[in-house]
Amino acid sequence: MSVSGGPQAVALDVIERSEGRMVLSMGPQHPSTHGVLQVITEIQGETVTKASPEIGYLHTGIEKSAENLFWSQASTVIERMDYLSPLTNALCYYLAVEKLLGIDATIPPRAQAVRVLLAELSRIASHCVWLGTGGIDLGALTGFFYCFDLRERILDLFEASGGARMHPNYIRVGGLAQDLPHGFLAKLDGVIEMYEPRMRDVRRLLQKNPILQDRMIDVGIISAEEAVGWGLTGPCLRAAGIGYDVRRAFPYSGYENYAFDVITRTESDAYARFLVRLDEMDEAMRIVRQVRKVLDEPGPVQSPDTKFSPPPKETIALSMEALIHHFKLVSESFRVPPGDVYQAVEGPRGELGYYVVSNGDNRPWRVRTRPPSMYNLQVLKKIAIGELIADMVVMIGSLDPVFGEVDR
Amino acid sequence: MPSSQTPPAGATALDPTAVRPDIADARIVRVMPAGVRSTLEGLRADGFTMLLDLGAVDYLEREPARFDVVYHLLRLPDRPAGVDEIGTPERVRVLCGVPSDAVTVPTVTDLWASADWAEREVFDLFGIRFEGHPDLRRIQMPDDWEGHPLRKDYPLRGVARERTPRPSFALKSNVAAGTPAAGRTAAGLQKQIAEVRRLADAHAAADLAATGDGKQP
Amino acid sequence: MAVANSGADFLLTTVDSVARWAQSSSVWPLTMGLACCAIEMMTATAPEYDIARFGSEVFRASPRQADLMIVSGRVARKMGPIVKRLYDQMADPKWVISMGACASSGGVFDNYAIVQGVDTIIPVDVYVPGCPPTPDGLLYAVNLIQQQIKRGGRGGILARA
Repeated sequence: MSVSGGPQAVALDVIERSEGRMVLSMGPQHPSTHGVLQVITEIQGETVTKASPEIGYLHTGIEKSAENLFWSQASTVIERMDYLSPLTNALCYYLAVEKLLGIDATIPPRAQAVRVLLAELSRIASHCVWLGTGGIDLGALTGFFYCFDLRERILDLFEASGGARMHPNYIRVGGLAQDLPHGFLAKLDGVIEMYEPRMRDVRRLLQKNPILQDRMIDVGIISAEEAVGWGLTGPCLRAAGIGYDVRRAFPYSGYENYAFDVITRTESDAYARFLVRLDEMDEAMRIVRQVRKVLDEPGPVQSPDTKFSPPPKETIALSMEALIHHFKLVSESFRVPPGDVYQAVEGPRGELGYYVVSNGDNRPWRVRTRPPSMYNLQVLKKIAIGELIADMVVMIGSLDPVFGEVDR
Repeated sequence: MPSSQTPPAGATALDPTAVRPDIADARIVRVMPAGVRSTLEGLRADGFTMLLDLGAVDYLEREPARFDVVYHLLRLPDRPAGVDEIGTPERVRVLCGVPSDAVTVPTVTDLWASADWAEREVFDLFGIRFEGHPDLRRIQMPDDWEGHPLRKDYPLRGVARERTPRPSFALKSNVAAGTPAAGRTAAGLQKQIAEVRRLADAHAAADLAATGDGKQP
Repeated sequence: MAVANSGADFLLTTVDSVARWAQSSSVWPLTMGLACCAIEMMTATAPEYDIARFGSEVFRASPRQADLMIVSGRVARKMGPIVKRLYDQMADPKWVISMGACASSGGVFDNYAIVQGVDTIIPVDVYVPGCPPTPDGLLYAVNLIQQQIKRGGRGGILARA
């Protein structure tokens, strides 16, 4: 018996049993699918014989919306793709736009450092959610509370600098919206100080936990060759032994100035991905500590080219030129010279890329996302075969998909 | 052409890929559907083991090819390799010009498994068919959706809602900015609202008269 | 709706107000997490905000066991029928919070793909503005639901669907 025709028609209304075989629709509303995912599984007893993930339940038309907004407005919808690390999306998009504008060399070092800081804090915050929800999937609730508390402190920092906990729209073309506020660095020191004892507790709870190990070791194994063929990137690829990290391969925003390790493992099961992400959090905090030292020095946070980034607020009341630039930028935004560019960053889920096409107008012509979660999730079709139905939850968690990005 | 996609004023390029600035982000290869398979097989044999992304762009009035199907490739070792061995891998971008949705593009799911969903998404949102794909059906939109949303001639708000009235501040002509401060009275606002209503009614009446059978634009 | 007709209903109304007190103190939400708002909904269960102190001790995955559907996130056109189906599957009395701008009105996404407000599909009791709203906003919404239950409206043992 196999699934054919429209999946909704088959799965939502029909459960067929035959000789211990069953077609089970898992989702799209399900506590452990990490979002709106539907997996139509054919199981023989408890073993999965076929898994078809169905996506699109969160398709938002973000790419189409971006084509109808100004370049600087488009980041508001683009941030809402990978909603666990919004600033990473904005960073990648603006790096692409800055390349098209030709101002990528004029981004001041302080702006670059803050961008790196926010990207790494986003990585830690995103992995906190992954770790907490991954634990809940397996019944480990305490880890969830510890991780979300750490995440709260990081969201405090996003709120202080950008104005909102999630989707702060703080990274703008040419640098940042404004400089870091007073007291931010003290709060950052608090987060840095809190991180180590908190993660020690979390590791003590989860890392050597026999139940967690039992459920994760040897589950969802994928070979390195298959990982590359299926387009996996990020922790999923690095857990298969391939040390590809965009921050190291194609450094951006000053990453070449910071020392960090690229974590790889070779077992390539769910437990290996779990360990890779845990160690990645530590490496991210290592980068944060290095950036913290750089931030003590003041400096500009926007490119001096005021055709694209607004002039400093204090000059608008005094200089006619500044006023005109500001007015033009707000009412009709800037125009980006025609061209296309592909820019990639290392998001928490892997290589997040934007293929941005401009036709010379003040709105993007096309913003194509390279969504790491979609490619990571696709491999579920392969790794689920032969595993138990209870392992499906573990595998989805280990791939760490975010459906805002998968469906866009 | 729906109002949300009216062509912009000012100098614009019909083919941005032909006039792109000198950015060293990837080696760029341009092909047509007849040659895309051999090009990609050659690249695959040359060590480009990862298809990072497969997407499409609608250039609307560009000749000879309206659409571009864009393949992003990366040369990675397909066995465990440390970060130093990987270094800076080479990127290639293959741009395949597709004249219209009547032309099919050969699938590459046999070369890279990652192409599966990506080709389905291009089919779903642009209408470009991939010959040889094992399961070419919609992926993002519901199965019974009509039209391909990311095409430039598909309205942003969807066919059903395209003609519904929008608040005056959302009109792209930015009416309020052109009105002097002294002129922004309640009576003026009433006039604007009445004008919008009149336009919406006129459009609705025109639609009803023109297409009684609900055809796609 | 529960109505106190006369003094003869004294016994019943007392029991009814006890029932309303019990219902408002143990509103169990359905895990209807769709997008970014779902993360803030999860954060509302985390220690900083702790929705459990308001009675929402557990989030039930099964609509049969849930009282409150918190529509948290943008509702795609493909997901609309499923939200409706889940709402229908919930047992009475049930309440709905539309959390966030997207669930309330379509939010930033006035396009082909998003349902412009979940109240076009299901009846909503409380709307929470924000993109996403802070967990505080969600907690206030739950408080409003509790007030609605205690005041009248759906709920109580004399409730009719």
